[in-house]
Amino acid sequence: MSVRSEAWTIYRQALPILLVSLLGGLFAGLVLEEMVPKVADFPGLLVMIPVFLATRGNVYGALGGRISSGLHQGVIEPRFVRDDRLVNAVVASLVNAIGVSIVIAVLTWLVLHGLGREVATLFELVAIMLISGVLTAVVLVAGLLGVIFVGFERGYDPDNLVGPVVTTLGDIFGMLFLLFAVVAVEVLVP
Amino acid sequence: MGSDGGLDTWSTRSIVRTMFPLLVVLSAIVLWAGLTLEEAEELLAEYGLLAVMVPTIIGTGGNLGAILSSRLTTRFHLGMTDLDVRDPDLWANVVAIVALALTIFTLLGVGAFLVGLVIGSTLSLPVLLAISIGSGTAIAILVVVFSFAATYGSYRLGVDPDDTTIPIITSLIDVFGVVIFLAVASLVVGL
Repeated sequence: MSVRSEAWTIYRQALPILLVSLLGGLFAGLVLEEMVPKVADFPGLLVMIPVFLATRGNVYGALGGRISSGLHQGVIEPRFVRDDRLVNAVVASLVNAIGVSIVIAVLTWLVLHGLGREVATLFELVAIMLISGVLTAVVLVAGLLGVIFVGFERGYDPDNLVGPVVTTLGDIFGMLFLLFAVVAVEVLVP
Repeated sequence: MGSDGGLDTWSTRSIVRTMFPLLVVLSAIVLWAGLTLEEAEELLAEYGLLAVMVPTIIGTGGNLGAILSSRLTTRFHLGMTDLDVRDPDLWANVVAIVALALTIFTLLGVGAFLVGLVIGSTLSLPVLLAISIGSGTAIAILVVVFSFAATYGSYRLGVDPDDTTIPIITSLIDVFGVVIFLAVASLVVGL
């Protein structure tokens, strides 16, 4: 195949996925724009945002990859049942996601302290990360499994669904729940 | 992620054990992007549309890096281990990644402009396009260089790139993406 036709094939395959995540990204950006003024109340908030979004992608991308391999190998059924493998994988992703949320808050607090920069209290940062981490986990696990199962039943390769679903749902719900968590902590911690 | 389907590779403990240390390393890398972002808080507060563009900048560089790295990795797994500059297949990958980057970053500029019409903004379409295409081109070059170096490097070291190299490279591209974007944005806005 010539360079041009081969490149065109790759382009055509990847473009729809990137367009979907562009839309999700723009929506997440609108929420981020709302959040910028809140940094005055919680210094360190902007530091945590890229890490928070990136780790959501890694944790649930790994869960999705594992579930699609399991479906391909026939060791998992495309249904919400109490299957040992499914439950273990979901519990592991929850432990990873919520655990790393706390790590992000602590790391941000330590680094900003070390640099002598202004930072919110450790309690506030941990509370924001925990609330948004738990809420995002519920939506992402349910949404991801739902889309993979339905897609698999209809004959789509789940490997191609995981990436776009995780980035788009992760960006949108990650930012929405982050904003919710910031407002909640503002109310709870006067 | 490798798993052979046996129940032991599906235990919660073993999944957390392999994954969690990597997540901590990735968090430490991407924290740098966050520090840059908070330093640019005044710029983002003044020009809200720049904040609107940030999540896409963070995501797209990483997505492109993941696409190119996994394609190159598959090549290595299939035994095509030579990197010849005359190989048309390699050039097809590079051309496709650059074309994808230019498409997405052009649309990001247009999308941000449309959002600006709704929320009210002082940044014009040419300014937004200059920022998004300028940083997008730099990010595309970075994606190509990093993906080639990483897949070739881990092949040489005998490490399976699927497990750790790709997540680390996509995180690094995220970081440089934010740094490049903010540098280009403050340059263009300051002109």
